Amino acid sequence: MRPGRWRRAGRWLVGRLLGAVFVLWAVATLIFFAIRLVPGDPAEAILGGPGSQASAEALDTVRRQYGLDQPLLVQYLAQLGRLATGDLGTSYSLRTDVGRLLLDQLPGTIGLALLALVVAWLLAIATAWWATLSGRIASAVSSGLEVVASAVPHFWLASLLILVFSTELGLLPPVSTGTPAGLVLPVVTLAIPVAGFLGQVTRDSLLDAAATPFALSARARGESPSGLFGRHLLRHAALPGLALSGWAFGSLLSGAVVVESVFARPGLGRTLLGAVTLRDIPLVTGVALVSALAYVVVVALGDLAERAVDPRGRAA
Amino acid sequence: MRSRLPVLIAATAVASLVLAGCTSGDDPDASSTPVSGGTLTYASGDAEPTCLDPHVGGNYPQALVSTQYLESLVSKDANGDVVPWLADSWEEASDGLSWTFTLKDGVTFTDGTPFDAAAVAANVAHLQDPTTLSSTGYLALGKVTGVEAVDARTARFDLREPDSALLESLSQPWLAMESPDALTRSQEVNCESPVGTGPFAVESWTKQQQVVLTRNDDYSSPPADAGHQGPAYLDEIVWRFIPDSASRYAALQAGQVDVIDNAQPDTLVAAAKDDSLDEIDAPRPGASNRIELNAGKAPFDDPAVREAFIRGVDVDSGIDSLFFGTAKRSYSPLSSVEPLAFSDESLFDVDTDAANDLLDRAGWTTRDADGYRTKDGVRLAATFPVSTNQSIPAEQSLFEQVQAGAKDLGFDVTLEPLDLSSWYGALAANEYDLVSAPYTKVGPDVLRILYDSDGITPAPSGYFANLSQTSDPALDDLLTRASETSDADERADLYQQAQQIILEGWHVLPLYDQQNHYLVRSAVQGVRALPTVQAPTMYDAYEAS
Repeated sequence: MRPGRWRRAGRWLVGRLLGAVFVLWAVATLIFFAIRLVPGDPAEAILGGPGSQASAEALDTVRRQYGLDQPLLVQYLAQLGRLATGDLGTSYSLRTDVGRLLLDQLPGTIGLALLALVVAWLLAIATAWWATLSGRIASAVSSGLEVVASAVPHFWLASLLILVFSTELGLLPPVSTGTPAGLVLPVVTLAIPVAGFLGQVTRDSLLDAAATPFALSARARGESPSGLFGRHLLRHAALPGLALSGWAFGSLLSGAVVVESVFARPGLGRTLLGAVTLRDIPLVTGVALVSALAYVVVVALGDLAERAVDPRGRAA
Repeated sequence: MRSRLPVLIAATAVASLVLAGCTSGDDPDASSTPVSGGTLTYASGDAEPTCLDPHVGGNYPQALVSTQYLESLVSKDANGDVVPWLADSWEEASDGLSWTFTLKDGVTFTDGTPFDAAAVAANVAHLQDPTTLSSTGYLALGKVTGVEAVDARTARFDLREPDSALLESLSQPWLAMESPDALTRSQEVNCESPVGTGPFAVESWTKQQQVVLTRNDDYSSPPADAGHQGPAYLDEIVWRFIPDSASRYAALQAGQVDVIDNAQPDTLVAAAKDDSLDEIDAPRPGASNRIELNAGKAPFDDPAVREAFIRGVDVDSGIDSLFFGTAKRSYSPLSSVEPLAFSDESLFDVDTDAANDLLDRAGWTTRDADGYRTKDGVRLAATFPVSTNQSIPAEQSLFEQVQAGAKDLGFDVTLEPLDLSSWYGALAANEYDLVSAPYTKVGPDVLRILYDSDGITPAPSGYFANLSQTSDPALDDLLTRASETSDADERADLYQQAQQIILEGWHVLPLYDQQNHYLVRSAVQGVRALPTVQAPTMYDAYEAS
């Protein structure tokens, strides 16, 4: 590699890191103030959640212990200081270290989302391929399917899949079992809407690419239809989709809140749901920060993938 | 003034009667011989507890699971009578200021610590220690000043005032007995693995996934109305958390789980057609589910307006159509499982003409452009915050029907669906006119919590229990006397008078018991709801071959 390239790569990395720090700071700040707009007392959340009948002494003790008697700005700065050192604090409701809790739940959700992303890409490419190879009617049908798929809510889709594949056909377990079979329905539920979206974008650019002169010349060289698709068209067609993978991953993380509840899977989504209900500020903040971080990482990876697929990006 | 020693004999007699009639209801093979072994999987729709020790906080999700590994001094049988559990017998002092419990002999906690009077004292001290952060148990012990270990098997509770609810309080899972050795560990550790005397012990807790409970082979302390003696039949219980109602039922149908709780009305109707499933209908004790009318401010500070609302809005047809006959209409402030519940159906005949008449005479004579009644230019409006965590979808739909019915009378009811924090926030700020708030507690003393005027004063956290803001010195007096008398007949009479005042003062619109339905695979026998707070117990359960 030439030195100029190293410099560019270094600049790219520094830019990404600064962006990540900014995103995390913004998320931490937003959450800190937003959660205080919800009625109710954080001290009460620590003492057994909403509706607890904590004594005045207990409330005072907790306020002092957690610094809740300090002015809001002081609390905010203290919170930022802790976060800067990587200390996510102690969960109000579970009374354990938030970092440890998140480490326990992170792999399940990230794994689920990544698997769903892979499945979504496979589904999107398969329908796009089918549409390009099989002409106008196939194209119209796949386009219709994609619109429907990208619009279905996770909750509805999950219930439908359970009804068909568990209750009626008895093929797959309706709730998570820790086995690969238990992973199928949650992954498919998450993948279908994203696949519909990626499929739409990919198919459009695939059809564009198929009409370009280079595709014609490849065909003239005697390239087979699948060779043409795999070696030439897909490279072009995947670009807009890759650029959207970061966005797709974000939507998968938010979809995990629903999917993890319906399929009774442990993970960040369910943690978040419980934490919001109990007004567990440190835990909500932790989940939001970890999700934001995961999002930043995936967007960066998508950027890298885009550069790998498209040589034009490297020169720029 | 009354000795409770004969209670043991009576309880045993009652227990055998109950057992003869009550196990598994209409089950055809209820006579099959219990088999030892196997794993039962339970799926709970309640929130996963944040702590498995029900001393900490004290809510229903904790009660459900802790009933498998913790035991209380006393229990209740299906007739509502208090029966022996970890205590063999008890006696109230003639002045009502102390109760002496004789404890069951030879019981040990699953960590080997003996269960004795010192353990009882340590548990009460733990509940009363502010750092435990107990809410339910702490309140229930409000009149208890401490426990004296007279000898190893005799524990004496000393009271500030006589407490006719003490036994009922002690029967609740939130006041269960834990190993005093285990309680000396940090709260974080004790929350993950509380140690009791129960038929099962906590083996592991994988958050958001499951609690694994294993059989206590040395178990010797079933409640007097249990189905058998000695260790439980099951080797193991896997206690899962499946928040979604449809998935929970799908998992039951697929045989992935054996028992589910929080079965919803539509699920119950489907399950009734399924021969491989049995239902246990176990309404929770304490208060009925009811709409409370806030008498603390306009418009429901006027009894005539309260009467008009209660007599003018039909809830029967909504309950029928939305609950498909799975919930029975209530006419009492108390749950139907409370032996002292008093019902007066005659008050709740719907009469819209009378209701309109009452509103006219109360001065709400004019109507605005939207058809709502007004008085001096003010609309007859009522805010109704609804807790989406506590009201099931069928109940939320029912409230929409109430809103429509009230509109016909000229009430502008605004439903506000809120998450739990915001809902408590709205109540604490007195920003409500109508509210439905469940309250589970064993015994009629729940009336004192909900309707004594003391309950209008908010706790430091802003919480207050008397949401109807009923303030009636005569009622306060009845409730205080009822909570202090040791004469059972007098107590029943006082509580009936109190309920009459609440109903006739038009403070509440009772709907139905607090719904609590379990579905069990028919292959599993012996599951029952413990008649204290109706949490399920797997002690007698076995898989029929």
